[in-house]
Amino acid sequence: MSNVLRPYLAAVRSTLTAALTLENFSSQVVERHNKPEVETGGSKEVLLNPLIISRNENERVLIEPSVNSIRLSIKIKQADEIERILCHKFTRFMMQRAESFIVLRRKPVPGYDISFLITNTHSETMLKHKIVDFIIQFMEEVDKEISEMKLSLNARARIVAESYLTAVRSNHCFKVNILLIS
Amino acid sequence: MILLEPHNVIIQTTLGEKIIKPSSLDVSFVDYDGVRFHMSTPEKKTALLLSMHIRCWDQLVQYGALDVLKREYGSLLKPSAEPEYNVSLEIDLEQVPSGTEEREVFIMSVALFKRNALAAPFELAFNTQKQLEASGSGQGELMEIHYRDEEAIYVQASADRVTVIFSTVFADETDRIFGKVFLQEFVDARRQPAIQNAPQVLYSNRDPPLEIRHLTLRKSEDIGYVTFVLFPRHFSNPTIQQATISHIQLFRDYLHYHIKCSKAYMHSRMRHRVAEFQKVLNRAKQEVATGEKKTVTGRTMQMR
Amino acid sequence: MDVNFRKIDIDAFDEEILQESELYEQDPRDPAQALDEMKQIQGAVRSCLAKNDTVGALSAVLEHAPYGPTMEDAKIVSLQALMTILNSTKATEIPAAVKSLSQDSQDTLMKYLYKGMAMTGSADTNASVLLTWHEKLTEVAGTGCIVRTMTDRRTV
Repeated sequence: MSNVLRPYLAAVRSTLTAALTLENFSSQVVERHNKPEVETGGSKEVLLNPLIISRNENERVLIEPSVNSIRLSIKIKQADEIERILCHKFTRFMMQRAESFIVLRRKPVPGYDISFLITNTHSETMLKHKIVDFIIQFMEEVDKEISEMKLSLNARARIVAESYLTAVRSNHCFKVNILLIS
Repeated sequence: MILLEPHNVIIQTTLGEKIIKPSSLDVSFVDYDGVRFHMSTPEKKTALLLSMHIRCWDQLVQYGALDVLKREYGSLLKPSAEPEYNVSLEIDLEQVPSGTEEREVFIMSVALFKRNALAAPFELAFNTQKQLEASGSGQGELMEIHYRDEEAIYVQASADRVTVIFSTVFADETDRIFGKVFLQEFVDARRQPAIQNAPQVLYSNRDPPLEIRHLTLRKSEDIGYVTFVLFPRHFSNPTIQQATISHIQLFRDYLHYHIKCSKAYMHSRMRHRVAEFQKVLNRAKQEVATGEKKTVTGRTMQMR
Repeated sequence: MDVNFRKIDIDAFDEEILQESELYEQDPRDPAQALDEMKQIQGAVRSCLAKNDTVGALSAVLEHAPYGPTMEDAKIVSLQALMTILNSTKATEIPAAVKSLSQDSQDTLMKYLYKGMAMTGSADTNASVLLTWHEKLTEVAGTGCIVRTMTDRRTV
């Protein structure tokens, strides 16, 4: 699968780099407002075509560019119930810390698991290629992290089950416990 | 600590201290499954009163808990329990065995107060099984022990085995999914040659197993049923029998304890990973020069 | 009191308001005419592929690509035709094929790649093939090609 992962990430990287051409842009609808146009959606001439990059049906990235902000949403691979709950926990954990992650959106776009909102302020105060690096590294590691968490859960469950059943089978354990304590 | 201990550590340590140095005392504490204890010295420093409240006391008495406790504690058992509690022990600290080892054994037996009370239905089932085996057929009474609000243990003896069924409720979806993973491992672990002598474990979600299907039970996704099938080899002699009882009754607590442990572990992992991501993002931030600005004459600018 | 007047979209009555159709020039063709044309091209693509002429097949589709909101049927046919080309081209031949296209055709090809990825799972699109093409095309045409895809309102 990793040979598919590389072009996938390469495509996200080039698209994101292309989309990160942002400029300061005041609202055309409300005076003295300066809001991310991709979120307000007030004037359609400043919204660009949204692009989707997909690896398969269950993993894709939606990039919605506009004149002063882009919104990037990721759908993370979830093969089964365990991965679904782990992914949900992980993204929730991150989104609750959204203020320290500056570019993270507090809620994902419907149909996706996690969303980032990058505005012209971010691209002015931060290095553009490093922001791209961050997104790519996040995508790389989130899959790895979820599958590692799943493995560790299974390993723990196995050890727990084995030690319990071994203890029930033999009568040593009960005695050993008492000896250890006294 | 992978396995949970069947005795109560607070009873064990407090009793150990008080035997050496008696003093007045009044403490309340709890154990698994909402069991409440009260340890006090109402009359004099050397007469320790230990009372216990168990939710399912009436059911336990029905299945012979008093007999088991009488056998274990003899004259220590008070004929009438302290108000608001189900059963009380009165321990005269001056009458405690003096030898170090004997004293440890005595303290441990008191610390196993809850375990002994809960052991009654299991002992009854094991004895019933022996009678049924002798007569060749038949089934024992289905014993229900509602040890928590919505969770119960069911014990039933047959001619060749004793079936123990736990019903357990998972508080949230994460618990439910983690619980499923754990219970699946319990079912699978028995395939290994080293553990093949262990009791057979069956697991069903939502639908209760055949033995208790006639009871009126709340049906829901978050309820799981775990069945242990104990064969005569698991209670062939008194030592094995006692060990089996100690382990079986802690099953529910053991399962939930490890589910909580896994959740805690996941949380610490996520904390670490998120901190790593934070570092990566911080690399994107540009250094902002925040040095003090000075005018040509050397005076500092004041920020307003 | 009737408060429904508050919900009237007054922008719709504004003569200055920008309409979707004013953002770009409409495809001059009639939808039915475009559909027929694409079906012919689909046939032409097959014969080109039989002759191993990938570039010819690509430019046939890309130079007559339908766009605009009225062309849904023709768009699907053209996407199918393009996918047959993409799926039947060897990975080693992609850079050469991409290089020999005109810049306009390259931009249109990029639009089709994104459209194909957006439809993964529904049509006979293969994500890994599309990603390979995307990578090669970006190498040749650069980021500018992606920017033009984002900004061009003439969506395929």
